[in-house]
This record gives sequence, C-alpha cells and structure tokens, in this order.
Amino acid sequence: MQSKSTYKVPNGKLLKIFLDYNEKNNEIYNLRITGDFFAYPEEAIEIIENKLKNSFLKKEILLDKINSIIKENHIEFIGLDAEGLTDGILMCLK
Amino acid sequence: MKEQWRLLKTENNSASTNMAMDRAELVAISKGSAPPTVRFFTWKPAAISIGYFQSLEEEVDLDVCKKYGIDYVRRITGGGAVFHDKELTYSIVIPEDHFQIPKNIMESYGRICGALIKGLKQLGIESRYVPINDIVTNGKKISGNAQTRKAKTVLQHGTIIMDVDVEKMFSLLKVPNEKIRDKLISDVKQRVTSVKHILGEEISFKKAAVAMKIGFEEEFDVELNEGTLTKEEIELTNKFEKEFFSTREWNHRR
Repeated sequence: MQSKSTYKVPNGKLLKIFLDYNEKNNEIYNLRITGDFFAYPEEAIEIIENKLKNSFLKKEILLDKINSIIKENHIEFIGLDAEGLTDGILMCLK
Repeated sequence: MKEQWRLLKTENNSASTNMAMDRAELVAISKGSAPPTVRFFTWKPAAISIGYFQSLEEEVDLDVCKKYGIDYVRRITGGGAVFHDKELTYSIVIPEDHFQIPKNIMESYGRICGALIKGLKQLGIESRYVPINDIVTNGKKISGNAQTRKAKTVLQHGTIIMDVDVEKMFSLLKVPNEKIRDKLISDVKQRVTSVKHILGEEISFKKAAVAMKIGFEEEFDVELNEGTLTKEEIELTNKFEKEFFSTREWNHRR
C-alpha cells in the first residue's frame, strides 16, 4: 500500500513522507523522507530510509530505531527530530 | 594585518554552474588550496533551487518552468525551495575549525547571518537573525540561508531579496491545494519583503555587493580581496556541473 503524509514538525520544518508498506502486518517496504529540514551529514537521510525498511509501523518501535540510528551515525537534525519523523511516518497510516 | 579572505563576484551564471562553483570552492578550501571565500552571485536565467531533501516534482511545476525558461537545480544544502530572480545570492566557504566559525551549527548560522545584517545596515536596513535560517526586517523575511558541512568545511549560501514577484514565484511552485493558492500568495506577501520595497528604490547588484562586502569584513574582522576561481576550481566546477547539477539523476533524485 502506498501512502503519503505532509506534517509540519512542531517548531520545525515541513516534512513530506512517501511510504510503501505491507498493510497486513504494518511493515515498511520503502520510505522516502523529503522536506525543507536540515540534516548533518545530509547522506544520513538515506541511511535512515534504508535502516527503517521492514520496521513495524508502531510509535515506540520506530522512535527507538530512529533514535539509535541518529546516535550511531552522529546525525544532527535542524527543523526535525526523531519524534517528528516518527509522527510524520505514522501519519501515512491515517 | 587583518586576515585576508577571497571575494568572488560571478554574475549571470546558470543554476547548475552556480551550485557547481560552491561545491568546487568547498573541495578546494577543504584541501587548503584556496583561502576562506565569500562569493556574491546572480542567476541567468532565473532559477528555482530546491533543498537537498526536497522532492523536485513535489515542489516545482516543471512545465511552467519550461514555459517561462526558468532553470532548476537541487542544492547540496537542506532547506526549502527558493526562486532566484531579483536577488543578491552569497556563499561563504570556510574551514570548520576556523576560529571565527562556531562549532555549533545554529550558532554558526547566526554568526554568518551577522555579516548580512551588517551589510543590510550599510544599505540603511535594520534587520535581525531569526532561527532557524532567516533574516527579518520589521517582522518580514528579507533573507533565507542554508548551510552544509562536508570534509571539515562549512558552506553557507543564501539570498538577499532585492525585489520579489510573489505571483510569479507561486506560478512555479506547486501548492498542496489549488483552492488555497491565493491565500498562500497573500500570506507570503505579508511575510516576505525586499530591499526595493523597504528603500523605495532599486539597488544595483554592484551597490549591494559593496554593502555586503563591508558586512562580512566587519563581522569577521578580515579583508576581502577580489579574486578569481583557481584553475583547479574551474576544472572542478565543470566536473560537478556535468556529473551532478545538470543531470536528471541529481535533480530528480528525490
């Protein structure tokens, strides 16, 4: 199932997510994170997109996973944070 | 003696050339083969640049761009879509460990914007930095900025809006819902201003560049000496333009 969300991150930028997921078990096939935020290093966004493949679309699971990817890869977001990204992804289900 | 930085003025380049030049400077300066550099530039034809993370087709109406001969390019910096028409665009490239550049990214935005604020003051315009990446005057945006850090080097580029045609800008950008296009246009007119609007007269690129030069010199306590790209930078510009900024693969990658 393909879905899209547009989400204004609180105190941040506009996030647009394109999500392809298995609606039977709520697992991510593919994810594209776009928007006018900043991420350092920029290539980190592709790491996040790849590492979230096959993740379950559940808030606690996604948030934990995103936080650990951020920590592992020393990613710094401006205008976006792990919670905002999680909420933006989950908004695709609505 | 004050520290000597390089000043480049490159008018009327295409979007892909402009973005390739910034990246070429970044590579050269990261290797120590050129000094910290401030560049003032313009775009010909007028162009839209989108942030690194944006979807080109989601943000830009490519058919309208084609119709009006408007160029487009993906930047290596984050941030939003910008219509580069009547503006002075600047870039600064400097080693990340330079003592004038705060380690903290947000603080470094504020510091570099400080140079623009001093430059605007030279033109008689009072302004202030508003995080994340704007400079405002009387509550309205007059400058947007975007920064990346690669190879231990900072590249920040941004605009000083000299004049703005909000209707034209919105004809080129996609809006989420056509019904709210007029509302968006009137909102942006409320939120964005220009040097021309504030001063009541057009300011030439040359005059604006003189003011901004002074702004950078004052903020960083340096002298800016007008120079040119090195041979290495020219070759890198050609390479990056050909391999990235003029390619469909780069511009449509998201």
